[in-house]
Amino acid sequence: MADESAFDKKKSHRAKQAGRKAEKKKNKNKIDQSNLSARQRNPKAFAIQSAVRAERQFRRREDVISKKQHIPQVDKTPLEPPPIVVAIVGPPRVGKTTLINNLIRSFIKTNVTSTNGPITIVTSKKRRITLIECNNDVNSMIDIAKCADLVLLLCDASFGFEMEIFEFLNICQVHGMPKIMGVLTHLDMIKNAKTLKTTKKTLKHRFWTEVYSGAKLFYLSGIVHGEYLRNEIKNLSRFISVMKFRPLSWRMTHAYVLADRLEDITSQELIRKDPKVNRDVVLYGYVRGVPLMKDSSVHIAGVGDMKISELSYLPDPCPLPSNEKKRHLMERERQIYAPFSGVGGIVYDKDAVYIELQGSHSHKKEDEETNEKKTLLKNVVETKETVDEQMQESGFKLFSGGAVIYPDMVKDDEYLQQNKKADSDDSDSGEENESDSDNDSGIDQSEKDDKKNKVPWDNNSDGESDAEDDGNEEGSGDEEIIPRDNDMSADEGDTDTDEEIQTEEDFGSKWKEKLGEKATEAYLERQKTSKNIMKLVYGEFEIGNKTKGKKAEESDEEEDQELGGLFKKVTDTQKKKHKEKERLDLEECTFFYALDKPNLRDWTSETNKQFLINNFVTGKRSADEDASELLKLDDASDGDDEEVYGDFEDLETGEKHVAEKTPQETGGKRKAEPTKSEILDKKMKLKAKFDSEYDNPDDGHRIKGDHSYYENLKAEALKQSELNKSVFENLDNGLRIEVEGFRPGLYVRMLFKNMNSEFVTNFDPSYPILIGALNMAEQNIGFVSCKVKKHRWYKKILKTNDPLIISLGWRRFQTLPIYSKIEDDLKCRYLKYTPEHVTCNMHFYGPMTPQNTGFLALQSVNNNTNEIKQVGFRIAATGSVNEINKSTQIVKKLKLVGTPLKIYKKTAFIKDMFTTTLEVAKFEGARIKTVSGIRGQIKKALNKPEGAFRATFEDKILMSDIIFCRTWFKVDVTKFYAPVVNMLLPVGAKNAWQGMKTKGQLKREKNIKNDANTDSMYTEVNRAPKVFKPLLIPKNLQKGLPYRFKPKTKTITLPGKNNKDRFENRIAVVKNPEEQKVSSVMKMLKTNYEKKKEVQKEATAQRLEKHKKQMELEEWRKLKRQKELKKKICRHLSKMGNKKKPQM
Amino acid sequence: MPATIHNDLLVYKGSNFFRQRLLLATLSGRAIKIEDIRSTHDDPGLREYEVSLIRLLDKVTNGTRVELSQTGTSVYYQPGILVGGQVTHNCSTQRGIGYYLEILLALGPFCKEPMNAVLQGVTHSALDVSVDKIKAAALPLLLKFILVDDGLELKVVRRGAPPLGGGEVVFKCPVRRHLRPLQWTKWGRVKRIRGVVYALRVSPTMANRVVDAAKGVMLNFIPDVYINTDQCRGSNAGKSPGFGVSLVAETDDKTFYCAEAKSTDAGAGEITLPEDLGRECAQRLLDEIYRGGAVDSCFQWLLALWMALGQKDVSECIVGPLSDYTITFLQHLKEFFGVMFKLEVQRSASDDEDSDDEGVTPASKIKMTCVGIGYVNISKRTL
Repeated sequence: MADESAFDKKKSHRAKQAGRKAEKKKNKNKIDQSNLSARQRNPKAFAIQSAVRAERQFRRREDVISKKQHIPQVDKTPLEPPPIVVAIVGPPRVGKTTLINNLIRSFIKTNVTSTNGPITIVTSKKRRITLIECNNDVNSMIDIAKCADLVLLLCDASFGFEMEIFEFLNICQVHGMPKIMGVLTHLDMIKNAKTLKTTKKTLKHRFWTEVYSGAKLFYLSGIVHGEYLRNEIKNLSRFISVMKFRPLSWRMTHAYVLADRLEDITSQELIRKDPKVNRDVVLYGYVRGVPLMKDSSVHIAGVGDMKISELSYLPDPCPLPSNEKKRHLMERERQIYAPFSGVGGIVYDKDAVYIELQGSHSHKKEDEETNEKKTLLKNVVETKETVDEQMQESGFKLFSGGAVIYPDMVKDDEYLQQNKKADSDDSDSGEENESDSDNDSGIDQSEKDDKKNKVPWDNNSDGESDAEDDGNEEGSGDEEIIPRDNDMSADEGDTDTDEEIQTEEDFGSKWKEKLGEKATEAYLERQKTSKNIMKLVYGEFEIGNKTKGKKAEESDEEEDQELGGLFKKVTDTQKKKHKEKERLDLEECTFFYALDKPNLRDWTSETNKQFLINNFVTGKRSADEDASELLKLDDASDGDDEEVYGDFEDLETGEKHVAEKTPQETGGKRKAEPTKSEILDKKMKLKAKFDSEYDNPDDGHRIKGDHSYYENLKAEALKQSELNKSVFENLDNGLRIEVEGFRPGLYVRMLFKNMNSEFVTNFDPSYPILIGALNMAEQNIGFVSCKVKKHRWYKKILKTNDPLIISLGWRRFQTLPIYSKIEDDLKCRYLKYTPEHVTCNMHFYGPMTPQNTGFLALQSVNNNTNEIKQVGFRIAATGSVNEINKSTQIVKKLKLVGTPLKIYKKTAFIKDMFTTTLEVAKFEGARIKTVSGIRGQIKKALNKPEGAFRATFEDKILMSDIIFCRTWFKVDVTKFYAPVVNMLLPVGAKNAWQGMKTKGQLKREKNIKNDANTDSMYTEVNRAPKVFKPLLIPKNLQKGLPYRFKPKTKTITLPGKNNKDRFENRIAVVKNPEEQKVSSVMKMLKTNYEKKKEVQKEATAQRLEKHKKQMELEEWRKLKRQKELKKKICRHLSKMGNKKKPQM
Repeated sequence: MPATIHNDLLVYKGSNFFRQRLLLATLSGRAIKIEDIRSTHDDPGLREYEVSLIRLLDKVTNGTRVELSQTGTSVYYQPGILVGGQVTHNCSTQRGIGYYLEILLALGPFCKEPMNAVLQGVTHSALDVSVDKIKAAALPLLLKFILVDDGLELKVVRRGAPPLGGGEVVFKCPVRRHLRPLQWTKWGRVKRIRGVVYALRVSPTMANRVVDAAKGVMLNFIPDVYINTDQCRGSNAGKSPGFGVSLVAETDDKTFYCAEAKSTDAGAGEITLPEDLGRECAQRLLDEIYRGGAVDSCFQWLLALWMALGQKDVSECIVGPLSDYTITFLQHLKEFFGVMFKLEVQRSASDDEDSDDEGVTPASKIKMTCVGIGYVNISKRTL
């Protein structure tokens, strides 16, 4: 066979080399070069030529990328954001009002006669803006800078930038930079085209150095008929409506409201009686920043810290259009709301609706919600039956279009409860059915009615326990309940290890009696209390807008008791009170079974073991955790990959999926969901991958750095913001506000009680009312230490303890700062003046504000033109908060001076340094020093002169020495804090707030001059030439000295020895004869006397010689005699010795 | 007992939850007044251990003002700024160190300087969580919020049983500017059981007997059980005799359940059998596991506190049934910080199925959701 095949070799196929077919094939195989990138066409050209250069390129690219990166922040903009605050700022007479009017006209096509205060308008389908004009007051400028999202900075081009503009820019920088757009006006005043061009250019560059290079600067070329050119305004409005904003850290942590409406609701009678009575004021506005908590304290700029006594939300007066799909805003949706300017249609209050008929849309339909409320109110007012009857009769619909359900049907509804826990109201009905026995709830009728419509928290309540309740009440053994009861009876002895929350059980010592009974009792009780976990924890809390006095509630309760007249109720409340009393003084204990230790279930028994076994890794796993299941799932999801891809191409659908995912919290079908969520996860991952690739396609083939850390951070922030948005989405609005606070975008009504009457009487809408919420501990006052630098444009340096007006956080206040410098040993050393061009520390007594918050300081906010001219630039200093404390440690150098009292060798007594012994005792061991630099130490106080002490030195000091002791003296910060209350000043004088004056100011005003210090006066200095004593070297020392150092006697010590010297200065003495006689006699006498002395001396010498000889002789004799005697004795002794020997 | 508010001063009644109130006042910076402290008791006024707590709070703060009434039945407390740093405190022996340590733990991340506290007293008390439990279950919880462990430490230097105590612990805690929001809805399954048995001034066999009993129970469920014995000698054993055990169950998602049991106090008359003790502790641990949730039931309040003090973001956690203490704590949180939790009773789907299959009813879980109040550590210094 093999051979055969070898022989049977057929001709192999030869492909066609030419012809039509060959051509076709060629074309088919040829790669289409036209579509290829340069790199693909010519890969060699793109290969790495030099490793070094490639590395450099890579490094540079990475540098650029990492420079662009910011720490990812959680995006907190709500789904329906508040209107964007657009502030129009500029010096006076620059065209601000004209610009506002023109903008309003371009947005909503209506003319506004007067613009006063904030004006909110709807500009597009997703955006509203609040326009506000800033007047020429530094207070307003500060407040506006704190709340504006976008600033239109107007500048008169014919004049150039004025100081106000630079001041405002500085204020902005300190309080978080909003977006700033410059607008040049009055360009038509410049006639020359070339000067116009150069002015534009110079102004632009100046603006860029202040803001950032490339910042947008608008040119409004001129005014025609009192209006700017329509085209330019349109352009500007387009810019405004597409502007994007970066979150600012202060506003991302604090809620704030820019009030756009104010009502004084004090009773007229009180005002009539006393026009100065404190007022109850209601302020309205959109919440911005972060959610506003109900009982947070706020600061109203220019007024002071206040507590919101009532906070509620109102329907939006200027709502965004509904979500219909359309391209443009309809005419009626272009709304305007400006109560201060007197525009806007309907105004909703909490309890009233105001209609301003001259407004544009006076016939707008009422809101659905208010309709609902009205009907509710009507229902309540018209009630004739008791609650129970009403309950029985009242039905409700579960779904729109579904059948009406009545409480009688509840029993049948139980399956509904089980299946659709999520949004069923029947738990409510169940509860309300038996609420007659549930007295402690204290729900009043209207509230119950409300509940039904509003779907409060109850939809999340424990369906199971509700089922139990129902079952128990009806006395029928439902299928759900039987196993439950069995359970209970089985563990009757061990009481409450059952799953429920048996919080209210505190029977103290009585616990152990009759455990079984107790258990059943507790069980019954629990049914009442554990219906709703939130109610259990928080009791009857107020929901959303409802604010009711506690007393009213209580009285209701009382009434109910009387009405019902049932014993059970009374005992219940009594029991509760009793329990509360018992709880009052219990020992505090964190254990689950607080003080009583019940017998636990025996977990080792087989039946009980089943409860637990799956909680261990060895137990059975649920479907979404089991590895094998997951594997299967993976395969399945791989199967419909195509579908997945098809879906996520579209961005919006992807987002919608996220929104849909969350509602399924307690849903029954869990098994399918993991797959869903997993698919979603996968989708997101793929999407992210796709995005990253799509955004920079060029990088695809290059070497890329690892940015996974940054990407992870970003993903985390994104996830958090998704969660923030979605987690409360389908919660009842009232409860949502309770949990989350009044989220930004809501229109709220705030009631402030006991406000100064001046706030209302002197109200000027051109001043912004900024209400900023204070976070925890920010309402407290303490010592703030911060970093500060004097502004380089401010002419003077700042002096310690001169009052300074500081704008920090929401507040503006005056305080007395102390400047200091941190030494190397972290000691704060007091400075009298701020240094120039370097930062120093500043300490003041003021409101506690988180670290790193920026602030600015002014010496005066008074708008006195003379003063401004004198000062020039008003911002004295800027800085940021470092630390907050309740005490300060600033020290000042102190030199104590003393003089020696008495000096011993190295010890000396020092006086005048201290005044008492006690002071000395405090300084024992302190280092001291003389002026000449001899160091020493304080030893002990002396008795005698009070305050004197003994000290030792390293050398002997002199009486003329002055002794210093260098110490530190603590400087206290003065506790002075005065908020700037310019809003209370009369209209027209609001910019003339005058706080504490500096000492210098006062002196200048009162013309007080100090007496000059005499020590500082310049007087003639008389200096006597110093005469030094000759240097005397002690003899002992001289002896030891080498010869060349020895003082040479000839020259120094004995000048008289030299004969020449002796006679040189002699004066010739001429004697008269008398004297000559006397002197000759004296001479003779002297000679005689000398001769005599000589003779005597010789005689004495001879006598001495003689005497000496005689003495020697005598001595010799004496010796001789002694020798003799010795000889004799020796002889005698030897004789005696010989005699004695024979005897021995 | 809800507080009454007199111009921003919270007024409470009764001595119960004294610690909670002081803690929250310190954190929130709000002044409180507590009246009627055991006013109807034979021995009215503050107890020694409460005064000791005030002292401790005074040590870790600056500028705190405390005014006691003449009879000691009312306290006015105005908190200062949290300072932390080096603190040595001799705790009252009426309560365990846990009573004080929990407070320091809650305050620790918000101090000016990292906390380094030395506490002396009773380390294992019947009324309070023991230091072992805090170390095993509470520190990992804090770690979830501060994420990086730079110096979070609790060292048991000496153990001390009641009534005389003599124990000592060193607690170190780093400071943070703010806490992270935490989402913790899965806690996994128990993967290992660890434990420690201590015997102070008693025969070492006691410890071994406890280990045997406890292990005997736990081995029914999982094979990975290790229980150490800690035989303390000399001064390390404190001043009173006693023994006890604490068992820790760790899940694969780093949740720690801890249960403990200790012998009755010396001189109390009753005698505890080591076997009973071991079994009791194991049963308690099983009970804790049964209740489940992301944290041990004793530290639910700490979880709630740190969730509430987070940044202005949503935190959500699932815990077992709320304890009494937690419920009161949540109420207090609302009063002091105005923060309200969204609480839902939750049962996972798998559990539902199980109950259909086998009739097993797991403990109901509660999902706590809240938006942090954006609390920042205002005492920390920035340079």
